[in-house]
Amino acid sequence: MAKLINLKIDGKDVQAAEGTNLIDAAETAGIHIPNLCYMKGMKGIGACRLCLVEAEGGKAPLIACNTKVKEGMNISTATERVQEVRKFVIDLILSMHPLDCMTCTKAGVCNLQKYAYDFEIKESNFTRKKFGYPTDEANPFIKRDPEYCVLCSRCIRICKAQGTNVLEFSGRGVGAKVVTANDTPLQDSTCTFCGNCIDVCPVNAILESDRWRKGREWEYEKIDSVCLSCGNGCSISVSRKDGAVVKINSGAPEGAAERFLCAVGRFGFDSISGDTRVTVPMKRVNGELKETTWEDALAMAAEKLKAAGSEAAFISSGNILNEDAALMKKLADVVKTKNIDSTVSLYSGPDAMNNATADLENADLFVLVGISPDQWKRVVPALDAVVRKRMNEGGAKLLVLNSGEPKIASVATAFLKGDEIKMLEELGQAVISKGVKAPKEMIEALAHVNPSDNAMAAADIFIAAKAPVILASPSLYKAAADLSLIKGDAVAVPLEANAKGVVMMGLTSEGKTFGEIVSSQTKLVYAVGEMPVKNRPDTKFLLVQTSYMTDLATLADLILPSAAALESEGTIIDYLGRIKQVNKVYEPAGDSRQNAEIFMAVADAMGTSLKKVKDTDIKKAAKAKFKASFAPFKRDKGLDIDVEQFIDDMRISTINGSRLLWLRELEKAVAV
Amino acid sequence: MSEAPEKDETPKKDMKDVVAAAEKVKCPVQKSQIFVEEFLSEPMCGKCHPCALGSFEALVRIKRISSGKGKQEDVAAVQRIADDMLEGSRCIKGKDTAKFLLEALKTAAFREHLEGHCEDRECTELIMYRVIPEKCVLCGLCKDACKYYAVQGEKQVSYRSGYLPFEIRQKRCVKCGDCMVACPYGAIEVVEEKSGVLV
Repeated sequence: MAKLINLKIDGKDVQAAEGTNLIDAAETAGIHIPNLCYMKGMKGIGACRLCLVEAEGGKAPLIACNTKVKEGMNISTATERVQEVRKFVIDLILSMHPLDCMTCTKAGVCNLQKYAYDFEIKESNFTRKKFGYPTDEANPFIKRDPEYCVLCSRCIRICKAQGTNVLEFSGRGVGAKVVTANDTPLQDSTCTFCGNCIDVCPVNAILESDRWRKGREWEYEKIDSVCLSCGNGCSISVSRKDGAVVKINSGAPEGAAERFLCAVGRFGFDSISGDTRVTVPMKRVNGELKETTWEDALAMAAEKLKAAGSEAAFISSGNILNEDAALMKKLADVVKTKNIDSTVSLYSGPDAMNNATADLENADLFVLVGISPDQWKRVVPALDAVVRKRMNEGGAKLLVLNSGEPKIASVATAFLKGDEIKMLEELGQAVISKGVKAPKEMIEALAHVNPSDNAMAAADIFIAAKAPVILASPSLYKAAADLSLIKGDAVAVPLEANAKGVVMMGLTSEGKTFGEIVSSQTKLVYAVGEMPVKNRPDTKFLLVQTSYMTDLATLADLILPSAAALESEGTIIDYLGRIKQVNKVYEPAGDSRQNAEIFMAVADAMGTSLKKVKDTDIKKAAKAKFKASFAPFKRDKGLDIDVEQFIDDMRISTINGSRLLWLRELEKAVAV
Repeated sequence: MSEAPEKDETPKKDMKDVVAAAEKVKCPVQKSQIFVEEFLSEPMCGKCHPCALGSFEALVRIKRISSGKGKQEDVAAVQRIADDMLEGSRCIKGKDTAKFLLEALKTAAFREHLEGHCEDRECTELIMYRVIPEKCVLCGLCKDACKYYAVQGEKQVSYRSGYLPFEIRQKRCVKCGDCMVACPYGAIEVVEEKSGVLV
């Protein structure tokens, strides 16, 4: 815990942690210091000068965004002197801002509007200025209208901090414009369309491109949920109007490094109502899939499951919720089969999917072992952004251990290229050789290793770090976790949002594994969710429970329509071992039902009733205390998959059913 | 990461050059205008709003004043901009500009310009060049010197009567002052447009 500093703000006694700036300190006391350019969690730049405050005994006013609290400070935030400067700046900005609040989409959440109201400025006292810059609206995601820009540079700074580096100012002062390199439209730049510039824009200059006439902020219902598109499981905040999703923003607290959302999470929601949805049960009649009723479908499923018995096999994706996974396990017990597994087993052993946790927000060193988060390829993009943000804004360092050449290695403080196990051994030995305490077994295991100079340099970085976070690919997790025995925390980063939850709920096979189920003979395969399987497994009966018409679904004998990601309610356990609440945003489309309900209905049809899973059961299962212990430096075998291909397969329906398809086609065209 | 090539950010002009440019003239309004123009052209970094937006607005207002179209509220606006820039800008450059403006505002010049007077006869919109008929010897040097064909008249030729006197066509005159330099007899003068000296 940082030291607490006592100060007075507008006569109120305020306590704030050392190193806090005045804006944040005032916020804790419920005092708002006006600002346009300050972004919580990032360095203040003092551009807008709205946050000027006066300190007792000080000569000139201070900028609150970049002034740290000091013991005994006495701050006045709204003296006549600083209010006049604030009024002046707002007045000047209004002289070059379109005064069309009545039709502006940002009305209600626009900072400029708020301050104009606060300072009672109806229209500018200064000369009207208009520059006639064209709007960039050539893409279906982000609309940029420079006419509204207040030159706060928040978009530029967030883009730089997360390493995408697309936006920049052209010109200075009045008439400056936020542009991409060579002022090209966004799709011709290196933009990834993550849309985080939308989240930070205080006005209507950067906005989702389809927001026109879709209601304004006060009309929206806000629902917190979780994006299930990749292993990061980002928190999202969904805005709903008249039962339809209008937009999705990051749901992480303001100022957190985790406040990030990629294009898939932000714009992929169209797919819920896309053409590829399956909303009625279907069964194969004379070689063709025909719509049927739930009763018929359930009876058929029950009959086939009973017949298959212990030779039935259940497979699932790692995206289904804890509640669904737990019930799936129970259904398998009813069927009396041990063949139950998930896609998680393709890339992770069960040991790596534990509830170990790490504190990303306060990490001062990231060690990436065998993983290559990448915003541009959208492979766990949020993690890439978090690491880069912590590096750029928090001064954290980065060690990359990888046999390939991941993009993030280009910004690494040190990059150990080579077989990850060998690199881990070298790093471990280098750290030990510098006299750092380590478990006995580890010292013995590494005695034969001769670290390279590179590893020695990396060891210095590791030793200097106070709170290193080791993020490992699941197959390397056990070896990487050995480093955490010396210092820091280690977690495995899976490729699916609820990979850890699914494993903790017991979807690990005691019979056939996922790979075996897909490739060997079975009597019945019950496949739940999207999975990277394109050919029909060698089975007598294929039951697919899915939200989308996937490749596998087209081969099924029976399809049970399940609710899609934003239509389900439950929890997941993310890669940091946190239980996250997934809330329902839509009612399930058509006749589709949530996975858990379907499992209960199938069990009912078989004559056994299953009980709903309680929150406490989930918590109990997730609580199983994890303790790191030494494991030999070895890689888990048989878990090598093409990560990019896998992630692509898992979200192909989301992409094909939404405007992300446009982006995909574009990226393909550029790649050729 | 796509790194943009490092831009050469060192300004070629600094505040000294700005002051030097402004000191070339005498009229406080003209001085202010040149100062702010020069300031905006180079040393202004645009990193804070009061200075970046304020000095631009100040220039708009000063231009209005120097052209004789100014009103009382324009002077008040310049005063407010200068006051707030001094208080709010981030660095010494903005504060210096504000101080310069405040100095200029202390003179009577701004008020006089509202009435159309430029004491120093430098604000081009408020002044006009005129040939003094009593002094003119009809030599034609001014006509040769004028690049804008603004001087009309006929050179005197011996034994010829009935000539056109030399005059300056105001519509063409850009007030560059070249004719005044060219005239060896001091027969060209600058007068205030509103003083009604000319017909």
